[in-house]
Amino acid sequence: MRILLLLIPISLVLLGVAIAAFVWAVKRGQFDDLDTPALDILEDDDRPAPPRTQPREGGPPPP
Amino acid sequence: MAAALAMPATAFAAGHCHHCGEALPANARVVELDGQARSFCCQGCAAAAEWIAQADLDGYYRLRSAAAGKVGEELPDLAVWDRADVQAEHSRAIEGGREITLLTDGMRCAACAWLIDRALAREPGVVDCSANAVTGRIRITWDPSRTALSVPLRRLAMLGYRPYLAGSEALERERTRERRRWLLRLGIAGLGMFQAMMMAEALYLDFDSTMPEATRDFFRWLTFLLCAPVVFYSGWPFLAGAARELRERRLGMDFLIASSTLLAYFASLVETIRGGPHVWYDAAVMFVFLLLAARMLEQRARSVASAQVDALARARPAFATRELGDGRRETVPLSLLAPGDVACVAAGEAVPADGVLLGDEAWFEEALLTGESAPVRHVPGDTVYAGTVCRERPARLRVTCTGTATRLSQLARLVEQAQAHRPALARLADRVGSRFVMTLLPVAALVFAGWWHWQPGRALEVTLALLVISCPCALSLAVPTALAAAHGALARTGLLAMRPDAVDTLARATDMVFDKTGTLSDGRPVLASVEVLAAGLERDEVLAIAAALERDTGHPLAAAFAAAASSLVAGSVEAVPGRGVQGVVGGRSWHLGRADFAAGREDDGALWLGDGVVAAARFVLEERARPDAAQALAALRAQGLRLHLASGDGEAAVARLAVGLGLDQRHARQSPEDKLALVRRLQADGRIVAMIGDGLNDAPVLAGADVSIAMGQGASLAHRAADLVTTGEGLLRIPAAVAVARRTRAIVRQNLAWAAAYNVLAIPLAAAGLVTPWIAALGMALSSLLVTLNALRLARQAPLPASGDNAGSPMSGEARA
Repeated sequence: MRILLLLIPISLVLLGVAIAAFVWAVKRGQFDDLDTPALDILEDDDRPAPPRTQPREGGPPPP
Repeated sequence: MAAALAMPATAFAAGHCHHCGEALPANARVVELDGQARSFCCQGCAAAAEWIAQADLDGYYRLRSAAAGKVGEELPDLAVWDRADVQAEHSRAIEGGREITLLTDGMRCAACAWLIDRALAREPGVVDCSANAVTGRIRITWDPSRTALSVPLRRLAMLGYRPYLAGSEALERERTRERRRWLLRLGIAGLGMFQAMMMAEALYLDFDSTMPEATRDFFRWLTFLLCAPVVFYSGWPFLAGAARELRERRLGMDFLIASSTLLAYFASLVETIRGGPHVWYDAAVMFVFLLLAARMLEQRARSVASAQVDALARARPAFATRELGDGRRETVPLSLLAPGDVACVAAGEAVPADGVLLGDEAWFEEALLTGESAPVRHVPGDTVYAGTVCRERPARLRVTCTGTATRLSQLARLVEQAQAHRPALARLADRVGSRFVMTLLPVAALVFAGWWHWQPGRALEVTLALLVISCPCALSLAVPTALAAAHGALARTGLLAMRPDAVDTLARATDMVFDKTGTLSDGRPVLASVEVLAAGLERDEVLAIAAALERDTGHPLAAAFAAAASSLVAGSVEAVPGRGVQGVVGGRSWHLGRADFAAGREDDGALWLGDGVVAAARFVLEERARPDAAQALAALRAQGLRLHLASGDGEAAVARLAVGLGLDQRHARQSPEDKLALVRRLQADGRIVAMIGDGLNDAPVLAGADVSIAMGQGASLAHRAADLVTTGEGLLRIPAAVAVARRTRAIVRQNLAWAAAYNVLAIPLAAAGLVTPWIAALGMALSSLLVTLNALRLARQAPLPASGDNAGSPMSGEARA
């Protein structure tokens, strides 16, 4: 039973780590929106940025 | 995601705008994208789609599960967002720039959030951004030294997402904090529960009591420490709720939960100290965790409701135009408008504050305040109210009341109260729950006394088991979870419930009354025939005159004449509400409208052109039924509903549509009062009436019906009169909503029946001492879980309307007839 003296502190430390990780994730907003990030991996995002122009002829008139 | 891939191709097929899915007008724009010709309903949609293609973001069209919002031709004036005072109140300085949270409409699915993220990230000067499709909020961090805020916002508006102010910065942060606090409570309760269970399990598995007492006590003390945060941090909402109930001198669910938890916790502590045979920490934590999970479900339903309140907030103007002493005008945030200022309101805009009308007479639509749908004429000196919509002609007013002092704010508070108000069904469950607690406590006391008499050692344990197992969570959970799931399912079919009772009443509805224009028909009349009555005029001429008169009114009828090319210009055009338009074309004064107004004849439902006395031409306009109207009505009839058509239009037009759709109960030339009387007659016969209208000229009858559905046509304030508002225009969502509502009612009944049966069985068992506290906690938990899962079936089986969906664009739903 002496092994408990080692195992129980370990389990408590792990619990502490789990809670800390959870708190960190909540504070960082990881759970705020569960749908949008799922779309990220479906689309490559490393394509070049578009030309920086307002839409050409026919764009809505600037206000 | 499945929904995104299963989106019916028809929704974006020919005849519908590639971007927003709306039906194409006659002058649709065709743009070549990726080698394919695409049609668009307006310049704005075309420009948005072009930019999306250029930016290589066309994945958006594959990912989306709902059509985008219509962009429209005009971008809003965004310069106000750059003002220092707006930014001071609504944004905050952070490292590397400033951060603002804003609301937008038109975010319908995760793909929108994806598109906004990408589009904004490519704007120079934008440091970080995140869009949340669930809450409709966008957080933007930008570097003020590199870009003005209005630049990225213009991009956003160009894509069809108009920005709106989202309350103050402090309020927004409080909202986020609250949501995260609930998540933390649940997470900590879960982690703590599992750890405490592990210890408890070790104690339970010690069947032959070979564990040294020191080890046992060590385990117990550890569990005591592990449970403390669960009981006091995670369980705080229950403790606080119980304290509130005690202060209000009533006993409710929170009291029962808190007392059972604290009893289990402190009784275990006493046992731990004196080395008794049993501890019940596990029951306490399990109780807290499971009930917290149930509360989270209820919270979710409420967050849907608060998103609706935000949608209403958008109906209020955020900025006002103030006239300075020297006649110049400036746009200011609403908060800067003070009594005594002169405010200018453009035609079609909402009045920003209560005030006294200056200058010319003007018309205001006061449907929100009075239920009167036709614009009301006001002369200088009259009081006009914030939130009423200025019609026909711009107005100036001297501000008297602003902010919370306005009539509008008083009304808004009423709406919020109505929303905070719990549904009758839930109130019933609460009342039953409260009575239950009142009877249970004496029973528990009796059981304790009985066991104390026979077997004092087990008295505490048995009483605890009784309290835990009989906790009527299933009862208190049955309704909220079912309603939460139903509201979610309704939102997915495209209906937002504005009143808590709406779902229940919709399920019981026996009759359905439809408005015609804008509800069953698409509100875009086409010219069916032209009859020239005056000598010396050609068909083309009268069409050209009518087109010139209608061109700038923005009235739905104008579209019918849009095809007639007209080089004529109309002068001094004036709309006469409810009757027609008058103006000068080619040197002659013309009236266009009802027969009595234009030609001095008896009104026959057709549109007449004349000089007010003599007729020049008669136009017959026809409205087409919405493409899915026949199918939707057939589905409703199959659900056993009696259908009625009530319209303000003439008999001929109503009959044509009713016959086409197979509606036999039809009522023509109905004023709002007549419609209301019709509904009252049906109600007097014991029918439960659902009214479906376009929410503007139907405000009184929408409010008078048992349950009402307003077709979503932009942010009309009159939507507040309705119980449910559709987010698009497809009619098939109505039979779908009826089906969801009926299933909700069935499931609530099943849940209540289960809760009753469970308690009848469990309480005698517990009182007889056959249940230990942890089995009681498990039994209670399983019962709650069963109720929750049963309710969640509603969310899973949500049917999607199969037809294309016209995105609710902010167009005016004005109807003249």
